Amino acid sequence: MLAVLTKKERDWVQSVVKEEEIERYMRNGRDFIDDDEIWEKLRNNKKPDKKKIEDIIQKSMEIQTLEPDETACLLNIEDPEIWHQLFDVAKNIKKKVYDNRIVTFAPLYCGDLCVNNCLYCGFRRENIVIKRKRLTLEEIRRETEVLAGEIGHKRLIVVYGEHPSTDAAYIADTIRTIYDVKVKTKNGYGQIRRVNVNIAPMSIDDLSLLRDVGIGTYQVFQETYHHETYKKLHPEGTLKAHYQWRLYCHHRALEAGVDDVALGALFGLYDWKFEVMGLLYHTRDLERQFGIGPHTISFPRLEPAANTPFIQQTRYKVSDEDFKKIIAVIRLSVPYTGMILTAREPAYIRREVIPIGITQTDASTKIGIGAYSDRYTDQEEDRQQFLLGDTRSLDEVIRELAQMGYITSFCTAGYRCGRTGDRIMSLLRTGREAVFCKLNAVLTFKEWLDDFASFETKAVGEVVLKKEMEEIKEKLPQNVYEKLLEYYKRIENGERDLYF
Amino acid sequence: MKSSLNITKELKMAKETSISELKEAFNIIAHEIKREYNAHIWLIEVFGKRHSYIAGCKDDSFLPPEVIYINEKYAVVSSDWGKLPLEKKEELFSLLNKYVNKT
Repeated sequence: MLAVLTKKERDWVQSVVKEEEIERYMRNGRDFIDDDEIWEKLRNNKKPDKKKIEDIIQKSMEIQTLEPDETACLLNIEDPEIWHQLFDVAKNIKKKVYDNRIVTFAPLYCGDLCVNNCLYCGFRRENIVIKRKRLTLEEIRRETEVLAGEIGHKRLIVVYGEHPSTDAAYIADTIRTIYDVKVKTKNGYGQIRRVNVNIAPMSIDDLSLLRDVGIGTYQVFQETYHHETYKKLHPEGTLKAHYQWRLYCHHRALEAGVDDVALGALFGLYDWKFEVMGLLYHTRDLERQFGIGPHTISFPRLEPAANTPFIQQTRYKVSDEDFKKIIAVIRLSVPYTGMILTAREPAYIRREVIPIGITQTDASTKIGIGAYSDRYTDQEEDRQQFLLGDTRSLDEVIRELAQMGYITSFCTAGYRCGRTGDRIMSLLRTGREAVFCKLNAVLTFKEWLDDFASFETKAVGEVVLKKEMEEIKEKLPQNVYEKLLEYYKRIENGERDLYF
Repeated sequence: MKSSLNITKELKMAKETSISELKEAFNIIAHEIKREYNAHIWLIEVFGKRHSYIAGCKDDSFLPPEVIYINEKYAVVSSDWGKLPLEKKEELFSLLNKYVNKT
């Protein structure tokens, strides 16, 4: 890849942004992030009194989205004891909405060619040390066979650079290829049942193309919500420099009929309190315009990347202590949302923050292009966007989660039976979705234990399953428990993909 | 070129009107079925594996969902099909077929 754009790349870049697909969502020509207003809220809500915090906690426990002033109050808490209380509340909210399951997934990087030049990104166009590659459909199939047939994943997030060679048509082809793979396993078969996408902002037509191939969640991170910082980090003239094209991509996805969208900010680019406020404003604008909030929120921290000095130089690095606060405040501010913690974070951090409200995590993660089927074990800087903090296998992570009392779920049922959009919002807000989470966690965990678990993990996992079954028997109607038992036995006999 | 773009827009608008009519009709039907048979039904639009909710009950009874396809684009889901008399079910799908053919 050349440092300067080719004519073909330049023409493609010119064709991507559709201004009319931004302006229609704006109010009086302005986007919903008012930097001054956010700072004012943070300034005006310093030293919140105890009663106010208690009222906010009560509202979060009722699974209501917070007001910006309320989130600003939480961000300004200084008393360590109140923070500890907040961590407990976050844990309880997560349990109420999603029960004690943790959904697992894997990222699949399909291409690292990119027309952009973001200062913090290992894949930026001018980074000459990165080996550039776009996987062929045959390579995608081989990667999927390892993920679904050897590791046992059921859910992927596919990742692509922003480049004409990985445009919407290519992405649609890769998703079709992934969905077509079916691999024989020890007692059944392995298959990817939900493909989420982490891709660049697209037009409504392109998003419709992806909707038609059955994508799961459309995930795009704003990186930073702070306008000026965004401008500095995304050089003028690049496609990604257009703040609003990115900011409104979830609005376009919802308009295109993709009713599961995911937000995120890259923590370390700007002040973390500001970014949490940005995520809240984003959530509230989606709720206002579509009645549907984010399916998940991500909060990755900057990690080292090859030949990317910005990462060492930033003054906004987030400490481990503040990272915990970020997670707790997001959990309380948008109580119904899924929250994703990835293998960017080292194992000791994952152990510490998962109880605060995490709903999804990845494992056996490889982020080099073609890395699963190449079977390399070390991290290779020159083929990764950044370096991972946790490279443990899915088997190890599941065992640890089971020892912590969590059940790993491979559930992908919701988007295949209409638990999407404002229906899932209603189920989440009323706590009813937690029942489906529990039932489907049991069934999919059983599948995975039978097909992929090591002896030690199976032993620990079966203890968790037994406990979950007893809880279901005690709390849910008899006919639901009986149906679960029937499905459980059918899975033991080799049937797969049974769900509630 | 200009005229072709307008036709596309009009077709899209006509389609949106039909879908909103379908949603409105389905919400009424779903409400009636819930009232009379305590059965929850909801309408989905099919995009490959993605089955997106578009109308009907937002609640259900924690039993496995069964999807019945109206055509390749739309389907109705319920965990309570057993609560509906057969003739009601037939009546429902005959009515939905008429609406769906207009979209």
